[in-house]
Amino acid sequence: MAHPQLQTETASDTGLIAAWQAGDEQAAAELVGRHARALARYLSGAGAPDAEVDDLVQETFIRAFRGVDRFRGQCQFRTWLLTIGGNVLKDYGRRAGRRKVVPLDESVHDVAGDPHEHAVATEAEARLAAGLQVLPRLQREVFLLRAQQGLDYVEIAAALGTTPGAARVHYHHAVRRLKEMMG
Amino acid sequence: MTDDMKLVILAKRLGAAAAERLDVGATARTVVAELRRQPAPRRRWIEVHWMRVAAAVVVLLGGGLIVRQTVTVPDVNEHPNHLVADDLGDLSTDQLKDVLDRFDEIVGSTTPLLDSSSDLRELNDEQLRNVLRSLEG
Repeated sequence: MAHPQLQTETASDTGLIAAWQAGDEQAAAELVGRHARALARYLSGAGAPDAEVDDLVQETFIRAFRGVDRFRGQCQFRTWLLTIGGNVLKDYGRRAGRRKVVPLDESVHDVAGDPHEHAVATEAEARLAAGLQVLPRLQREVFLLRAQQGLDYVEIAAALGTTPGAARVHYHHAVRRLKEMMG
Repeated sequence: MTDDMKLVILAKRLGAAAAERLDVGATARTVVAELRRQPAPRRRWIEVHWMRVAAAVVVLLGGGLIVRQTVTVPDVNEHPNHLVADDLGDLSTDQLKDVLDRFDEIVGSTTPLLDSSSDLRELNDEQLRNVLRSLEG
């Protein structure tokens, strides 16, 4: 095994992937540490029930590491991971009988101050979450990758196997429909 | 603030609580343990694909065998004239001339092999042997 203490602070994702492929388990753990929370936010935003987020995060990482040979650096590792998370969530939805679960997040930590403002923000988030569940999958994923994860269209297009122009169109369709639904 | 910006801010908040609750260390340990428990996906992938190829070969061979058994192939011995015609068709002009010359020799032989009034069914064994010998050249 390599020297995990040295590599974890400095290695790029690509370097950690190579180390994992060479048998370094600590590299895999480091990649989980770097991207797990972003993945959890993405899965939750995409409709994963709160009680299932941990398991879905684990399943996504396991699937990603097992299929890491297919990662060619066409986008960032995190972006690739998020798209795998989308597939894992879709499979979960099939297993769960395609039930639609709207995450009603009652414990938003980053809305400080006035309790009324907090309640309004939470309600708006719930409406957004509900609206996202109505969108086609591609629109939902593009919206989350763009608005929640802050990725540009080139990166999104590379991850989803489409063009930047098409990704932009999907995003604008998603925004228009979400605004209509949130009224 | 525009509606689009409000939407983006809301989107960034989505899932924040779930991310906060996630025990990253425990997740990493679980993932590594699971990968250790079921390693070598590449080998399994190759095995699965080889199995599929082998299954496809078996299906093709089996299907071919069944088709061969069910489709009637004409017995070549039932149509000797066709074979003779096929053989003649393969001959060159000179070869065909040779065949005709040979045929003329047989037909116009000074020592007739058989009477013109008789047919093959009326020949005795000796006469039939002579005819066959002459045909063999």
